[in-house]
Amino acid sequence: MERRGFLKAGTAGFASLVSGAGLLTWAPRSEAATISKTLYITAGTHTMPDGVSVYIKGFSDSSADLNVPATPIVCQEGDTLEITIINRLAVTHNFVIGGLKAGDPPLVSSGDIAGGGSKTITYTIPTGKAGSYLFYDNKTSYNVFLGLHGGLAIMPAGSSNQLYSGSPTFVKQLFWVFNDIDPALNSAVQHGTTVPTSFTPRYFTINGQTSLPPGAVGFDDPTRDAMANPETQLAGSVGDRTLIRMLNAGMCSHAVHTHANHMEWLTDRGTVRGSVWKKDVLYLRNQLGKIDAIYPFEAPPDAYPPVTTGHFPMHLHDEMSQTAGGGMYLFGAMTDIVFK
Amino acid sequence: MGMNGGGGGGGGGMGNACYVYPGAPATPGFVTPDVLFQRGIYMNGSMRFDDGNSVTIWGFTDLAAGGGGGAGGDQMGGGSFPSPAIRVTEGQIVHTALSVNMMWMHTIHHHGIEPSTENDGVGHLSWDVTGGTYTYQWRPLHAGTYFYHCHVNTPLHAEMGMYGALIVDPKPTPGDPAGTKRAFYNGPKYDVEAIWACDEIDPNWHTLPWYAGTCGGDVGLNNLNPRYFIITGVDGASSALTNPAVAVNMTLGQTLLVRYICAGFYPQKISFGGLTASVVASDGRPLPAAWNTGAIEAHSAERYDCIIKPTSRGTWTVTVQFFHWRTGAVLGTAKTRITVA
Ligand SMILES: [Cu+2]
Ligand SMILES: [Cu+2]
Repeated sequence: MERRGFLKAGTAGFASLVSGAGLLTWAPRSEAATISKTLYITAGTHTMPDGVSVYIKGFSDSSADLNVPATPIVCQEGDTLEITIINRLAVTHNFVIGGLKAGDPPLVSSGDIAGGGSKTITYTIPTGKAGSYLFYDNKTSYNVFLGLHGGLAIMPAGSSNQLYSGSPTFVKQLFWVFNDIDPALNSAVQHGTTVPTSFTPRYFTINGQTSLPPGAVGFDDPTRDAMANPETQLAGSVGDRTLIRMLNAGMCSHAVHTHANHMEWLTDRGTVRGSVWKKDVLYLRNQLGKIDAIYPFEAPPDAYPPVTTGHFPMHLHDEMSQTAGGGMYLFGAMTDIVFK
Repeated sequence: MGMNGGGGGGGGGMGNACYVYPGAPATPGFVTPDVLFQRGIYMNGSMRFDDGNSVTIWGFTDLAAGGGGGAGGDQMGGGSFPSPAIRVTEGQIVHTALSVNMMWMHTIHHHGIEPSTENDGVGHLSWDVTGGTYTYQWRPLHAGTYFYHCHVNTPLHAEMGMYGALIVDPKPTPGDPAGTKRAFYNGPKYDVEAIWACDEIDPNWHTLPWYAGTCGGDVGLNNLNPRYFIITGVDGASSALTNPAVAVNMTLGQTLLVRYICAGFYPQKISFGGLTASVVASDGRPLPAAWNTGAIEAHSAERYDCIIKPTSRGTWTVTVQFFHWRTGAVLGTAKTRITVA
């Protein structure tokens, strides 16, 4: 069985998620660079809010980590990606970076990486590829659901505040990577039994975590609570326009709903929208759907008396996603919008 | 987080509920409103489907209209489904006073309206109303189509029917004769209005108590298996084809505004039966340019404002398909009609 690199996710496994500055940091360069990165395919367990332990796999930063999703990669057009994937498990995996638009071929595919083996992919990013990407394993149709996925941001060359050349501008950016977990699938993979042909997800995550409400164990702990994780939380002051790169690694379509501000909807599945609509709900498709939108951080328009601070949720409006294990409302794919 | 309303979370809570945050405090910055809506709740309504079966429905009552359901009563009666509409004009200071007795907890979230944290109706960031009245104070700045719904144990309470339309009309455009109706300020005019809140019903969920699953345990709230597909509280199997609250009867030359609300949890597609809709707004915001289409794909809580100007007499069947969120399979269909005489 897949015992190599068997890890226990949790505080240790997710520590790298919160070691950075909080949001994706990026300084544009006038010259292209080579971005070298090593990803370790590792496996282990993650404890769900109802105490159920679920087997997961990830593209991790070291053989001792279990990062789900993978640590985001940020680069710019013209850069060369040089990514080495080391398979620490016993079964074959692979690594692909999905295409920009729905139906596009992958940017790059590693081909099979045998158990214990490794591969290095090299890809020089042409102009015109700025945007948001999901990298994942498509050796099977379900490996992506196990946690083998992560976000890649390709910035326009020389830009620090645009999604694509000429796009509306932002001052911060982050990823929301969504996943839906049916533990029956994960268990079948763990134990080498027949993988189900139909799934009923029971846990719903954003950047690998669920929300934890006041009173819950782990509440407000950024290593556990998606409401508090600075890489997930949408925090800013009025004017801190934030680009959100939404990637759906999971089984289900979702309705992404922000309170306090409408979002400026820039792209759907990699295609730039003809005009910018302001929406409080965005339809994030499954089968690797993605959306880019800017949360403008304007004072909540309908407050009386006016306010500039407060806490509000971003949650999925397909409310089944706000549960864990068939109940436990408030333990699902939700984060905090903080007007500081 | 600075706004946790009470210590009711964790293992405690009222009755058998966990992770609820009871409260009914005074409204910060309370002022005299331009318009007041008084809402109670009902927990023992019902809806009958075309096949003869019924389910329990919960909702909000209009206390000013003499409806029961105030915090003083047992709130075990019935009421209209969907809940009575809230209709205001942009710029008004609005109060929505929600009264809930100590047996239950509910809130009102004015979906798409963006007020302060205290007035947003999200219990874990403010409070879940119980044992009294909380007055939500807000001032809508953008005309358009919204809806209001409970935000307590939301998968269940919204599925049970705790929602109603919320329409923000524009201020009058200067020069318009009295009675002129527009979708938004200086926006397209309309003569006839339809509010189509499209929703799916899983009867298995309609037997659960209000706090179901909040303390843990599998009550199936991850798994929606709808059997009925409804438009604005009317069965879309056949009743909605002719029910006068849903089906549109208009005359040639009139302009129809359809306010389409995706009130369920699964993705939908509304098709206008061969008519072309000019979509002029979504989620309470005008589109930069109208979008002409014969069908709209939408997901939970999206709204689309559709101007339809039939160019001939006739009858068109409007179809709403409901799709499984994972497989994309069509789970059911609801239908209504536009008849132009
Ligand atoms: Cu409720
Ligand atoms: Cu809502």
